[in-house]
Amino acid sequence: MLSKFVKSTALIALTVCSLHAADFNAQAEKDRVAAIKYFEAKFADPEKNKDKFFPYSTNDELKNDYAKNLKHNDFAIGAYSFSKDAKSQYEAIKEMPPYDAGIEKGEELYNKKFANGNSLATCFPDTKVAGNYPYFDEKKKELVSITSAVNDCLRANGEKEWNTQKGDMANFQAFIASSSTEAGKKVDIKIASAEAKKAYENGKEYYYSQKGYLKLSCAECHIQGAGVRVRNEKLSPLTGQTTHFPAYRLKWDELGTLERRISGCIVDQGQVPPKDESTQMKELLYFLSYMSNGMAVDGPDVRK
Amino acid sequence: MKKTILKFVTATALLTSGLLVSASASEISKLDVKKECNVEANGVEKVLATATKYNEMAIKNKVEFMRLGMKTSQYIEAVDAALKSGAKNIDIVDDKKKKTSEATIEYAAWRACTFAISALTQEEESKKTWKLASPSDGYKY
Repeated sequence: MLSKFVKSTALIALTVCSLHAADFNAQAEKDRVAAIKYFEAKFADPEKNKDKFFPYSTNDELKNDYAKNLKHNDFAIGAYSFSKDAKSQYEAIKEMPPYDAGIEKGEELYNKKFANGNSLATCFPDTKVAGNYPYFDEKKKELVSITSAVNDCLRANGEKEWNTQKGDMANFQAFIASSSTEAGKKVDIKIASAEAKKAYENGKEYYYSQKGYLKLSCAECHIQGAGVRVRNEKLSPLTGQTTHFPAYRLKWDELGTLERRISGCIVDQGQVPPKDESTQMKELLYFLSYMSNGMAVDGPDVRK
Repeated sequence: MKKTILKFVTATALLTSGLLVSASASEISKLDVKKECNVEANGVEKVLATATKYNEMAIKNKVEFMRLGMKTSQYIEAVDAALKSGAKNIDIVDDKKKKTSEATIEYAAWRACTFAISALTQEEESKKTWKLASPSDGYKY
């Protein structure tokens, strides 16, 4: 009798815990699905949906320059998913990827011994983890991005921390991203507690809030503005924006981290960006990465 | 007895600071940028003081503005230094602190003031409007 009681109690407790765990990401899931639905509707037929989504574009460009019937996973390559001309240029560059040397340097850094005999391999025994960052550390009650994890490792081993935007940091992350891509990993961000949920919500609010002297939100360019041409470039959609970092940007002429790209966007809005290892930056990364959940990790990649 | 007094003082201090924060939010919503930052009517020194006051709040709230690599606080520092040295202009610098242009101290004070206040009023406004842009919340298409 007692055994039955204990078993039933344990089962109930487990069920309650599971339900709660599912609850924590319920809104995030709703957000993610709504974003996919929006982009699929927007890019089902840009020419036909001109009045609704592309009022300032010409009929000619919508007919000739935009791909149709795009689905969720198509957005992994950002604006190249719908921009025919940009996609052909992207595919030509990919024939000789400019980031290959960065991956090799990253692998060397992975195995290079610290002064104390440890290495980054000590902190990252599994290299196929690009799709799991940022994660919420339930013990420390804080978010951990791949950038902060690398610098935490260096600091803990008495090494000098790296520049968070380029150089060794970007090369090492390119190696991790490449290993994850080759292993067929997917973006898998978890929200498993009330604190993690709050961190996600903070990131979401940051994304949708108008900022800077230009009074722009991230969403104005990458939700409502996704696909819209600004001068000669088309803006990328939120869905799939984190899958391919670090990225080799032609503008940078080198590999750079996701934090570098986001900082650039925020500066363009006319606001001082959060520090790369700050809570605010990690919350924004958490939201962005959750929006790409389920998509294949495909970094490093090349972007204009 | 001492403990009770200490608790009372602590509670009063906490309540007061809370009231000040909410009063500030209310004050911010009512700020008239054109009036507060009018250099002709208020003078450079007063406009600069207004800019300094509100930009400190903007920095604390992590919403400080910047334009072409120059933060509001850099405008404030440059105007302050010019007032002390008697210079009529300040240097406009990029993110590497390299001079790209010049501006009069009146113009720079006005810009610092409008940036500082707008950062805060915009922050208050966005607390009420941000969900309107989210497809899963209020955005209709």
